Amino acid sequence: MGLIDILPWRREKAVAVTRDEDLFDDEFQRKLDYLALVSRRVFAGRLRAERRTKKSGSGVEFADHREYQPGDDFRYLDWNAYQRFDRLLVRLFEEEEDLAIYFILDTSSSMGFGQGEKLRYAKKLCAALAYVGLANLDRVSIVTTSDRVLERMAETRGKARIFKAFRFLSSIEAGGKTDLEDAMKTFVAQHKRRGLAVLVSDLYDPGGFERGINVLRYNKFDPFVVHVVDPAEARPRLHGDLLVYDCETGDEREVTVTAKLLQRFAEAQAHYLEQVERYCSTHQVPYVRASVDVAFDEMILRVFRRGGFLR
Amino acid sequence: MIFAGLPLAQLTALFFAVGFGVLVLYILKLRRRVAAVPFSPIWERILRDKEATTLFSKLKRLLSLLLQLALLALLVLALGDPRAAESLLAGRTVVVLVDASASMQSTDVSPNRLAVAKDEARKLVRGLGGADRMLVAQMDAMVTPLGPLTSDTSVLERELDGIHATDTRADFPRALRFATDVLRGYDRGEIIVVSDGALGEASDASGPVHLGSATLSYVKVGKDAKNVGITQFSVRRYPLDKSRYEVMLELTNTGPDVEDVELQLVGDGALVDLTKLRLRPGERLPRFYPQLSGASRTLEATITRTDGTRDDLPADDHAYALLPERRRAKVLVVTEGDTYLDAALLLDGYLDVTDVAPRGYAVAIAKGDWDAVIFDRVTPAEMPKTNSLYLDPRGPGAPVKVDRELKQPGFDKIERRHPAVRFLALDDVNIALGHKLVPEAGDKVLGAADGGASPILVAGARGGHKFVAMGFDVRDSDLPLRVAWPLFVLDCVDWFTNEDAQYLSSLRTGEVWRLPVGASVSQASVKRPDGVMQSVPVHEGRAVLLGEQSGFYDLIIAGGETTTFAANLLDASESSIAPQDQVVVGGKQASAVEGFHAGVRREIWIYLLLAAALLSALEWATYHRRVTV
Repeated sequence: MGLIDILPWRREKAVAVTRDEDLFDDEFQRKLDYLALVSRRVFAGRLRAERRTKKSGSGVEFADHREYQPGDDFRYLDWNAYQRFDRLLVRLFEEEEDLAIYFILDTSSSMGFGQGEKLRYAKKLCAALAYVGLANLDRVSIVTTSDRVLERMAETRGKARIFKAFRFLSSIEAGGKTDLEDAMKTFVAQHKRRGLAVLVSDLYDPGGFERGINVLRYNKFDPFVVHVVDPAEARPRLHGDLLVYDCETGDEREVTVTAKLLQRFAEAQAHYLEQVERYCSTHQVPYVRASVDVAFDEMILRVFRRGGFLR
Repeated sequence: MIFAGLPLAQLTALFFAVGFGVLVLYILKLRRRVAAVPFSPIWERILRDKEATTLFSKLKRLLSLLLQLALLALLVLALGDPRAAESLLAGRTVVVLVDASASMQSTDVSPNRLAVAKDEARKLVRGLGGADRMLVAQMDAMVTPLGPLTSDTSVLERELDGIHATDTRADFPRALRFATDVLRGYDRGEIIVVSDGALGEASDASGPVHLGSATLSYVKVGKDAKNVGITQFSVRRYPLDKSRYEVMLELTNTGPDVEDVELQLVGDGALVDLTKLRLRPGERLPRFYPQLSGASRTLEATITRTDGTRDDLPADDHAYALLPERRRAKVLVVTEGDTYLDAALLLDGYLDVTDVAPRGYAVAIAKGDWDAVIFDRVTPAEMPKTNSLYLDPRGPGAPVKVDRELKQPGFDKIERRHPAVRFLALDDVNIALGHKLVPEAGDKVLGAADGGASPILVAGARGGHKFVAMGFDVRDSDLPLRVAWPLFVLDCVDWFTNEDAQYLSSLRTGEVWRLPVGASVSQASVKRPDGVMQSVPVHEGRAVLLGEQSGFYDLIIAGGETTTFAANLLDASESSIAPQDQVVVGGKQASAVEGFHAGVRREIWIYLLLAAALLSALEWATYHRRVTV
């Protein structure tokens, strides 16, 4: 690398500043009212809501029996069981509580690469999914990460809080490196209450995207991966002798771009996407590839539902 | 190899200096455009695969450097203007004599010897050194330089294209004299003869040719010698029976094998005779066809092989002849009565003779269109406007002045070549009394007495009309008792009417023909056998041209009057087409051609630049196709 090449003004700005704009309109918002996020696991909630919890309580769905203890409510004694087994058993019912949903939005520089289309798309996805969660009286929290946890929107519930989410998302800009493992470790340390962890990211992690997801898995969160991809990145408009640098790490590499090399790059990019998808399916992590060239409405109303992410 | 431009030392220094610059540029890294990517590990992955071929990449890079150095070397060499050492030798002056005689039409080499000779000459032109000069000349009956001495090879090659074959024999001595004249004064003169070698002795009427300091080289053309040709062909009408004619021809087999041929004689397109003949190698076979009759005007003899193939030289397989026109000549005899004269004229049945007394001459001459008038001891006041024979003329109307009287003159001197007296035995004619005739300028003295001092027989022309004047009365001599008398009278009439007994039925190609067209004619043209019209100059009443083709010609003079005549090669030496291995001039044998190497004069720097351009194009193409990067 020549001296001239390392001068900062030789590099064009690789990351765009995303513009604040309406994340979605009223019509779309009404459609979202009919949706709900799907969690495969059951988490303990704090407030009564529409989610089943492990805690037995005053719900209507039978959960289990246990031995009668003095002081238990006689109304829950199972007389049929007493008649058959000659033992006093108390019927337990599942309590319906709220669900903690965490939207972990990757705001590293790669998400804002080019015109920032990926970050804009990711914000919209987060907003829509957050609205679905809020509408179902779940506790929704949004966390932005790069190589660490950057900002955090405190847990909130109720549809009226969606504007808080909007404001939070609108203030987000891309920057920093990606290190999902460190960021997720911080996240799990900061959030003791387990729940649904929706990771919205392009998964461009030099350390390996698996590590960040594994941290969530190992700490008993229910990870959902929304893989934001920009197909244009597979077909970069590059040609000739170039010094390419990573927009996050700044790592440089001399390369002579030919049509053949571009073809190989496209294949490598596709292979990377397949690798992510294969990992998620192998480890039973719900995965949705959110391509920015797919209309946002279709992505939410059809792709996510088809992928079992929404119902 | 030498350098005509920058010297070698400077070229070397230049190469190393610029080559060092090229090397430095290669060592320095190429400044590349900078481009951001969202995730470099994917690039790393594909580039890691590419690194497996790093060695090949380095080799390609080395190849690129070597290509640049080669390019530089070519350019530096071009600056040096390299030339072959031969090209800077002192310039030679070369005269190339390309044989275009009839034998060069032989087809024993493809397509014919002349074409091969031109190719050989073209090689010589391309092998000229930078300081050499050359002149190309066509050698046939004449020697025709096709341009000046020049070193411009394109001009010389164009000149070679203009050489064409002729049905003539090569005049080698004339060509050599021309070449030596051209080379006189030049140090390194060279004469190159491109020929089949059938050139004969290098000697002419002026003696043997001396080449001086010029060297003689010989380029042989041709390989075979199979040929049968017509080497003689003559036709004439019988003088006393012009309805019949006789043909004499001679065939010659110049080849090494026995040849069976078919001889056709065609008159005006109709077959007259067909004969099969066998000729042994080298045999000359004369054939005589007497007492042929017919109205034919043109005759053509053709030989073909009986097996249908053609011999190597088709040019001598045909011969052409034209019979003199049969016409009854009208002769007016002005005489008081001369039995000897009447008897002589009676011998030719084709003469329409009218005798008239001197007093009836004026009426008779005004009435008729006479071919000839014979004045027997009569001299008109003025010459008639026709040809006339004066026997013992007197008075001022005579075409020549009649001088003093001569007693017992004799024919001491005779112009034997003149058609009026040719083959006549006049030497011992006894004459009792005669008069000396005084010829005018242009007249021809046919016979003279007193050791040649006193003309007694004069021929000439006045106002375009021929005359013969005899300065004695035949009755005062024993001439009427001799065979020469009627022959003389008839020869004179024939000469007047152009019915020469020695009429040439064909002309010989390779000679300068002087064809009578009349004194008043100033312009004439000739339609050649190949159909080309050619304007010919007229000098002293004769159209003059060099005969180059055999066949029938039409001589057209002003007013459209056309005369046809025939021309033939009829040359046994040209029919002998065996190529000669050696050409000897003045006892010295011509050497083989040396010092003409194709490409010697080429300017190599042009090719070096072309190579550099080619390399650049190659580099450009491979670069843009990403082969060498």
